[in-house]
Amino acid sequence: MDEKDENETEENNQGREEIPREETVNVIACKEDLNPFFEQSNHSINKVHFSEVPQICRDEPCQLGVDEAGRGPVLGPMVYGISYAPLSRKQLLVDLGCADSKSLTEKKRDEIFDDICKHKDSIGWAIEAISPNVIANSMYRRTKVSLNEVSMVSAIKLIQGAIEAGVNVAEIYVDTVGKPESYQARLKGVFPGVKIVVAKKADATYPIVSAASICAKVSRDHALRAWRFREGDSIGTEYGSGYPTDPVTKNWLSENVDAVFGFPQLVRFSWSTAEQILESKALAVEWEETEETEMPNEQTILKFFAKSPTKLPNVHTKKHPFFTERCLSNANIL
Amino acid sequence: MAIRLHINKKDLAKQEESELHLMPCKIHGDQAANVSSYFKSSIRKIDEEHYDCSFRGYPLQGKKVIVPAGYKGIMFMENKKTDAENKNRNLYCTGTFSQFTYWNYDRIPSKNDSLVAALDWIDIAEALHSSET
Repeated sequence: MDEKDENETEENNQGREEIPREETVNVIACKEDLNPFFEQSNHSINKVHFSEVPQICRDEPCQLGVDEAGRGPVLGPMVYGISYAPLSRKQLLVDLGCADSKSLTEKKRDEIFDDICKHKDSIGWAIEAISPNVIANSMYRRTKVSLNEVSMVSAIKLIQGAIEAGVNVAEIYVDTVGKPESYQARLKGVFPGVKIVVAKKADATYPIVSAASICAKVSRDHALRAWRFREGDSIGTEYGSGYPTDPVTKNWLSENVDAVFGFPQLVRFSWSTAEQILESKALAVEWEETEETEMPNEQTILKFFAKSPTKLPNVHTKKHPFFTERCLSNANIL
Repeated sequence: MAIRLHINKKDLAKQEESELHLMPCKIHGDQAANVSSYFKSSIRKIDEEHYDCSFRGYPLQGKKVIVPAGYKGIMFMENKKTDAENKNRNLYCTGTFSQFTYWNYDRIPSKNDSLVAALDWIDIAEALHSSET
């Protein structure tokens, strides 16, 4: 435990450590730093980054906003973002122009992101890029994990990370697409004593959520653009916005099907758009039954009759469970 | 009907081994696959013998299985499968292996998996067929 250095907390993903790389980006001081940050990333797993905690955020009570970007697209990661600032500096966020991120142009969002980074003495932030592979894996588990659950776990992890790093969190504001009540109850359980507000469109109401939203959205855009295909250089990068409704994205999906493996890992395999294309363009794949599909107590009348004695000589052909359990049989045919 | 297995001494002596992955699903196809770029590129080592990967978005957990001592894994290919039932069939050796990666769908490979358990038979067969001492 005591041998862990500080970098490791940033690299820690789902209790699993990433393979150490030669050089890692530890400080993101402007949006340009996001490119090498995501390029280096192992795209199969999630990627987390925490900014340094400003001293004032340790000393003074802070408000913390949570929002996400990229829930709908069939391509690229979904990014969760948090931002926090002292309650005494509320006006700063308004001055920076933190408003509903969807009403801002990409250029404006990029500018505000750089401004947030510049005010590193009073605003802190963190993001988690949830890999498309992790999203598909979760949804395709034997016991399915919904996207909402994945989202909540990510949000809680980021808030916890900030608190552990020393942020004096007094108020939490969360934007949600789902039901606010259950989400709020859950957060209250995890963070007792903290004021928690979960609301739809919180992004447009609370500047601190807008700031989180901007961090998430700018990161998502850069993560998508900085994607490096491990599947080979022949894969085209004209994949558009990643939304299933974008014709460029749809076209890219249709043209980049591998008959056996389906798609590169940029794609969320569990999205119906992706599933439908594979159904028509890739080889069919059959998985073992997830649950035993037993017939419910079906009784046949034959059960009440004794077996014909003529079948008795065959009794020895019944295999011992040792063999049936192990799927072992004589190799008469190939 | 006879099945003839063709193995060259050369094939067996070859040092170079094939890398095998046993998948927990049936892929309805029989063709070359881009295993290195689409599969091997995202295999992650969990510990000395366990691995993680994905296939078509499904989570897989894998384990290296070593072919028991004294045995050798051999792969065969049939160039043309004869339809006629009473015709002789020919299978040709295409490579050898001494280990392979056994992949489970969202489950850590264990002794309870039928494949790993099937290897018990080798020890039992040995005990059954060895002369009494």
